[in-house]
Amino acid sequence: MNEKEKEVPFFKDWNGWYTLVIGFLIFLIAIFWLLTEFFS
Amino acid sequence: MTGLDWIVISVLLTGIILYGLYKSRTTKNLEGYFLSNRSLPWWLVLLSIMGTQASAITFLSGPGQAYADGMRFVQYYFGLPIAMVIICITFVPIYNRLKVYTAYEFLQNRFDNKTRTLTSFLFLLQRGVSTGISIYAPSIILSSLFGWDIFWTNIIMGGMLIIYTASGGAKAVAYTQQIQLIIIFIAMFMAGFMVVRMLPPDVGFVDALDISGKLGRMNIITTGQTENGFNWTDKYNIWSGIIGGFFLALSYFGTDQSQVGRYLTAQNNRESRLGLLMNGLVKIPMQFFILLIGVLIFTFYQFNGAPLSFNARLLEQGKNSVVKDSVQMLQVKIDSVNQERKETAVWYFNSKDASEKIFIGQKLKEQQAASDGYRLQFRKMTERTSDADANDTNYVFLSFVKDYLPAGLKGLLIAIIFLAAWGSIAAALNSLASSSVVDFQRRVSDTGTPINEYRLSRIHTLAWGVFCIIVAQFAHQLGQSLIEAVNVLGSLFYGVILGIFLVAFYMKKVGGTATFIAAIIVELFLVVMFFQEWFARVTGIEAIGELPDVSFLWLNAIGALGVMAIARLVQIFRR
Repeated sequence: MNEKEKEVPFFKDWNGWYTLVIGFLIFLIAIFWLLTEFFS
Repeated sequence: MTGLDWIVISVLLTGIILYGLYKSRTTKNLEGYFLSNRSLPWWLVLLSIMGTQASAITFLSGPGQAYADGMRFVQYYFGLPIAMVIICITFVPIYNRLKVYTAYEFLQNRFDNKTRTLTSFLFLLQRGVSTGISIYAPSIILSSLFGWDIFWTNIIMGGMLIIYTASGGAKAVAYTQQIQLIIIFIAMFMAGFMVVRMLPPDVGFVDALDISGKLGRMNIITTGQTENGFNWTDKYNIWSGIIGGFFLALSYFGTDQSQVGRYLTAQNNRESRLGLLMNGLVKIPMQFFILLIGVLIFTFYQFNGAPLSFNARLLEQGKNSVVKDSVQMLQVKIDSVNQERKETAVWYFNSKDASEKIFIGQKLKEQQAASDGYRLQFRKMTERTSDADANDTNYVFLSFVKDYLPAGLKGLLIAIIFLAAWGSIAAALNSLASSSVVDFQRRVSDTGTPINEYRLSRIHTLAWGVFCIIVAQFAHQLGQSLIEAVNVLGSLFYGVILGIFLVAFYMKKVGGTATFIAAIIVELFLVVMFFQEWFARVTGIEAIGELPDVSFLWLNAIGALGVMAIARLVQIFRR
């Protein structure tokens, strides 16, 4: 893997990205649940 | 349709073809033609991935789905971000390290010839037929609503894009998808804005959601739980979305060449991964907003009266058929309930008393049920007398566009249906050609020099384009029920293909023959299980009809896990 491959924007490694994506999914589900409750 | 609409459509479609041709210059070899020399940045990969997944039917069916069944369809995409992470960790580095042209090439490396051939054959069969259907599906809707000739609509929907796809390969596909998506997003945003603007003056965006919510359309999260426990045949709930959707997304993005071919065009692992992860971030919000337009249209029709059917051709045929007197009676009834609904909706917004609002909300529900009942009666009545599509869910959005949007914007929204179709079909043709050249022709005959292979690839792209248009023309003759069956058939293959790849990646001790046998067994089981009633009737074996009845999203999980488990067992017995 060359130097360019190692550079991951915003995070030190890919784990930061993976956490962001899964965290965002959980955040969306929570928001959707609140919207469902609010408009039911 | 006005002259302005035709000008907008002609300019946009011609512009995309010319832009595609302008971007067609590429190195004349397989790497240049199918993978754009592995040179694209992540954001172009992202737009290409999104443009490939979002077909015309995404933008037609999404709002219609929300209109008929509410927002819960968004849960279908909940497994996608998790799948993106797994693909980035496992699939992407292996594909890039082996420098493969197609995902199936890797299977020969890991297993053997026959497993690669079986998997790429399943892909070509499923993708070839489903691309034909994805030409036909939007064409029949446009043809029904605007009275266009289906033959020529199919030709424009599936034929014009061949010009730049055959000429420029993956590079032209990616660059045109980028422009197409930008135009689509702008147009959809304008459509949503217009719906809110066309509501009564004192009804705002939140009010629109409020009334839709009262009528069950803001059901974004559902659990699938009933009094008798979990409903396995319920299509869209949080569990089928997260688990079933995860396996579907893993299969589609990890093993379907139409998607793998997109991120193989990236400069390196980093760019492939960023494109996929960004897709994991934006896909659900994007789908949410498409569905939200449907919910807003639903509120709009509370004030403007929904027709007996959004399929104009069906309505016309019903009014002139042997059941025309019954249709006329239904029309009078729905007009009356529509008028009541409008008055009740105005009353709801003017009421300040909370308990009165609950009462009015209940009244709205009763009127909605009455309206739905008349629409269902019309559907059943005309199913027997008409060849037009009785299920009008996919017609809701374009019917609204046709009847209510101003000239110019109407043309723009019709144009984006073509652009969305072109984006996904172009990627499909490119992937079909790459698989048929690399996985088949290259292995059985001498394809000669790189320039010969490049020419051959263009011919394959053209041939697949013609094949898909022929499928679309035949689909018209075969009717709607078969088209649905073909779509279901696609979901039957995905789980098995994914299972083969998961064995390859994660079960190092299992060989090609065990995986091949497992794939055949599980594929047969899935087909028998899904069409169990038919098999039980034909074979006379009642036990077949006792197999579990599950929604199609679960088939992906059953297929993938089934192949893994049986491949392991077969491997043990072969020792």
